[in-house]
Amino acid sequence: MHESEFTLILLAVLAPVIAGVATLILPRRATSGRTILALAGPALSVYLLGSVVTQYGVNEPAVTVAAVEDHEAGHASSSNEEHGVVDTPGTLYDDLTLGSNAGSDYAAPSPAYQDSPDSGVVGIPFMESLHLDLTFNADPLGLFFAFLIAGVGCLIVLYSRGYFGKDADSLFRFYPMLGLFATAMLGLVLADNMIAMLIFWEMTSISSFLLIGWERSNPKAVRLAVQALLVTGMGGIALLGGVLLLGVGVGEWGFSAVLSAFATGDLARPELVPWAFLLMFLGGATKSAQWPFHFWLPGAMAAPTPVSAYLHSATMVKAGIYLFARMYPGLYLLESIIPWGEILIAFGAITMALGALLAIRSAELKKIFAYTTVSQLGLFTCMYGLGSVTYVHDGHAAANIIWPITQILNHALYKAPLFIIAGAIIHTVGKKELHQLKGLLRSHPLLAIICLAGCYAMAAAPFTLSFTAKEAFLYQIFHATETMPWVNVVAVLAALTAIFNMAIFIRFLMTFLATPEVETRIEHDAQGEAHAHDHGDHAHEHERGFWGACLWLPAFLLVAAQYVGGVAPAWFGELVLPFETAPLYWSALPGFFEMKMGAPLITSIIGAVLGILLGLSPFLRSPLEDPHNKLFPAVYSSVQRDGGRIFSMLQPGNFRVYVYLVLSAFVLALGGSIMLDSGLWSFPEAVRIPQGVTGLLMAVSFFSFLVCASALAMPFVRSRIVRVLVLGGVGFSVTGLYLLYQAPDLALTQLMFEIISVILFLLVLRMLPEEPKRWHRIDRVRRGFFAALVGCTVGWVVLQVAGQADLSPDGGALGEWFGAQSYSDTLGEADGRGGGGNNVVNVILVDFRGYDTFGEITVLAIALMGVFALITAAPAKAVKRVVKYDDIPREAYYVPEGAQPGLTTSLFRTSMRVILPLSLIFAGYVFFKGHNEPGGGFIAGLVAATALAVYRMAEGPRALKSLVPIKPGPMAAIGLGIALLTAVVPLVLPGEHRGAFLQSYNGYIPLLGEDPYHWASATFFDIGVLLVVVAVSLGIVNRLTEEME
Amino acid sequence: MTLFLAICVTVVLSVSVYLILGRELKEVAMGLFLLGHAAHLSILMMSGTPVLMQEQGGAIIKGGPVLGVSSHMVDPLPQALILTAIVISFAVMAFLLTLLVVMHRRADRLDVNDLASEGRPQLLTEL
Repeated sequence: MHESEFTLILLAVLAPVIAGVATLILPRRATSGRTILALAGPALSVYLLGSVVTQYGVNEPAVTVAAVEDHEAGHASSSNEEHGVVDTPGTLYDDLTLGSNAGSDYAAPSPAYQDSPDSGVVGIPFMESLHLDLTFNADPLGLFFAFLIAGVGCLIVLYSRGYFGKDADSLFRFYPMLGLFATAMLGLVLADNMIAMLIFWEMTSISSFLLIGWERSNPKAVRLAVQALLVTGMGGIALLGGVLLLGVGVGEWGFSAVLSAFATGDLARPELVPWAFLLMFLGGATKSAQWPFHFWLPGAMAAPTPVSAYLHSATMVKAGIYLFARMYPGLYLLESIIPWGEILIAFGAITMALGALLAIRSAELKKIFAYTTVSQLGLFTCMYGLGSVTYVHDGHAAANIIWPITQILNHALYKAPLFIIAGAIIHTVGKKELHQLKGLLRSHPLLAIICLAGCYAMAAAPFTLSFTAKEAFLYQIFHATETMPWVNVVAVLAALTAIFNMAIFIRFLMTFLATPEVETRIEHDAQGEAHAHDHGDHAHEHERGFWGACLWLPAFLLVAAQYVGGVAPAWFGELVLPFETAPLYWSALPGFFEMKMGAPLITSIIGAVLGILLGLSPFLRSPLEDPHNKLFPAVYSSVQRDGGRIFSMLQPGNFRVYVYLVLSAFVLALGGSIMLDSGLWSFPEAVRIPQGVTGLLMAVSFFSFLVCASALAMPFVRSRIVRVLVLGGVGFSVTGLYLLYQAPDLALTQLMFEIISVILFLLVLRMLPEEPKRWHRIDRVRRGFFAALVGCTVGWVVLQVAGQADLSPDGGALGEWFGAQSYSDTLGEADGRGGGGNNVVNVILVDFRGYDTFGEITVLAIALMGVFALITAAPAKAVKRVVKYDDIPREAYYVPEGAQPGLTTSLFRTSMRVILPLSLIFAGYVFFKGHNEPGGGFIAGLVAATALAVYRMAEGPRALKSLVPIKPGPMAAIGLGIALLTAVVPLVLPGEHRGAFLQSYNGYIPLLGEDPYHWASATFFDIGVLLVVVAVSLGIVNRLTEEME
Repeated sequence: MTLFLAICVTVVLSVSVYLILGRELKEVAMGLFLLGHAAHLSILMMSGTPVLMQEQGGAIIKGGPVLGVSSHMVDPLPQALILTAIVISFAVMAFLLTLLVVMHRRADRLDVNDLASEGRPQLLTEL
């Protein structure tokens, strides 16, 4: 674990977003400064990643692809004999490898993985029990992608400045999003922890969504953005499932650890792994636009061109490919149980050919390049698929993949410049479609040449890096055909793709060379010189100088690399080699002249010739709308329509339907599980009636009877006042049960609660209208039957669960632990663990589960706020008394102002004057005794609040106000504040006393008397609780009573 | 004894569901109030009975959850949970009652079916 390496990588990942957000500080008009600041982010990433490489080197991959595994030996030799190809590779291909028998060098049965403790993974643990750690792995694959992302990112920042011109508002919005994306993408490729990778993955989807919907006022762009988000988001969910299944299936949560586990075959639950891979494939396929999910990528061209160049060709859409590449070394070993390679080949090959076909049938420049991107992504998928189906070489099963990283790099090096230049052409000429660009070579030679250079590379013609990459891919295919004849289908599709790509180049060439049509030129002259055209996503004016050149310069630099790679492939190969994951068979990259004649080269030549012919021919010229484009709108509207139907069925807006539905599901689930488990059919042991405690038994049965009887009376009582009293009766009987169950705290709390709530209920009921007509009988019977069903099911389950209760002598395992910990016996010495109290319930509340209690008093305060807000939002209507007060005239006896007429009798008031102080004293007593004997903040609070509330009814609000001068709102705030302070103080205490959030301290203060006074810091917390409870109860009672008056 | 409590839970819960399914919001509020009791009692059941069976046949009653009072103690944890729950149900009840008042003022009626016909949930708008 190198901590500084972790820091470097983390900084490299975060640099773009920090720089991007920092641009917001600059004044809006400072476009140049903004560009330079935004550029600093990815540039810093490149620098930091570079120093990671120079200081710590590139980590070896956990599992190298090169290894030929004995896992596959059996499979290999058998297929060998079947196909009789033992000698073929040697004769046909060994002369093609430039190194001395490089194939067998790499393919020798070497150790497949480094099982060293220092795997090169660096990170910090976050939530280890949930496997959430932020770990990075600077291995070749991750570093390659990271350099690609940061490097292209720098160029895109410059290009954005050229593209948006001086459109300061767009740049202001654009750079932060771009920075966010770059960070997400860097995190995605460098993260080792799979869940961390997933989070970065989702971040890329979100930033892509934001950028596709760049023109927020354009409904089409918004629709396409939603389409991209939903498609990739669905994939993200599938990937989440895949990652979780894989983590559980393998028992490891980092990519490198997972791959090592594959190599050793040491899987926790192997049966889950195939499902995991299926889901992960869905995630990768949606992200990397594989058929049938490819339609979102051409749709994503609604984004500004810098985004298309960066996200939707060079980096983000390769995330799926990255995933396949990441899992590839392990899958290669698992190929015998998961037909992973075949899946990838099938989808990849279809995507490859379909993309190319749609590309040649498209008219818009950006669409053409989007579909070729789809095609190329299919090729990569196919490439990793071919690598996974092992190829038999010299009697060994060998990995069948050649320089995959170089192939991926190659695509970025021509597709990003093509997009950049497409944007530049649209920007400069104002035309979006290819056929409108006749004569571009003459009018804008620079743009046309760069564009043609890119297309030439796309056609994989000689002297480009592309050529070598395509040859590598074709070799792979022909390697595979030797053992698997069906791969010939892929060969045909690949040849078709090559033909289409070449034809696209020819069409570009012919269009740019052609003489412009007259009307086009007139149109161009009319608006071109004025530089006042507007093409949708931004308004701009053309610039000169460096910033103006930014429009094409990045494309030039990238495309130049293509030709460097094509002319000096060996040198370029050396450059890429440290990051290359599988430089099999070829120890160096071959150039055009080093290619030997063979099936791949012949295919290329035939493809090129046919491509040139097709390009010149009139075939396949009419634009074709991809039929898959209808897929998403159809599904989407079906979800809306049919979903709406189900929605209105399940959500009729009637509360009772919801209750029926929820409870039915509940009863079905519970009842079903009872039915299934015969162990739940008989009475549990615990139900046995204990002998020798007849008194207790009698008392319990008496109170139970009271509870049941008063509850059952509820539906039959007509008068609502009586109903509330019966409701109170249930509560008071429950209080009795609490007492018998040795729960004095509960009994006291329940008693107070019952008093206060009966009062509240009565108050509120007086404000509400009389009961309307009764229900008809059928409904009552149905309700009753259903209610009894729910009750019986739950009752039975509760009985069964209680039968399982831990009945050890000292209150169960947890109870025993709490009992032992609640009082630390060491006199005067606080060990910080015990709560320092004898009343275990109270210690649990204010100490062990203090967090809970803190949350709870917060909820109380929120309820108070809710009551205030609700009442204020619906002010009382002008005098509309629903209920007549008593007939006694108000003047008949003295009623304090604001007090309840009818409630306020002399007897009541006089008795309250005595009861109030007694109650308050009792509350204080209960509070201070609470830590060691029954009592505590909650109970004391309720006692005090009840007394005060009743006092208020007798004497009116003014009397209460003079007694309690502070308002309930501030009082609750103070209470919460005290509780929070008590919780936080341990964090800031000096030295050895420092503790955790809510840590409690206790000790003894020597007093004059014999016994030292025992104190606990939890008392302060309890004061907070007390204040909140008093404030909330009083506030609510106050508010509701005020409403009545 | 557990059986008695189980019966209480059954009855209180049944009545509570019956009231919740009622047509009047006041009834619903009372039903929810009762639901709290049923929940509390079922948590209480999880602590078993306060009776400790002796090996020689007799039984003694355990002490409350206070240290040093009795040699055996009932399980304090369910009690702490219920205490929290009671206070929360107080807040819930107050909120419900306020809702009743507000509902009455806003809609001028408290009949569930009548209210339902007005406030039907709307679907998301089309994109």
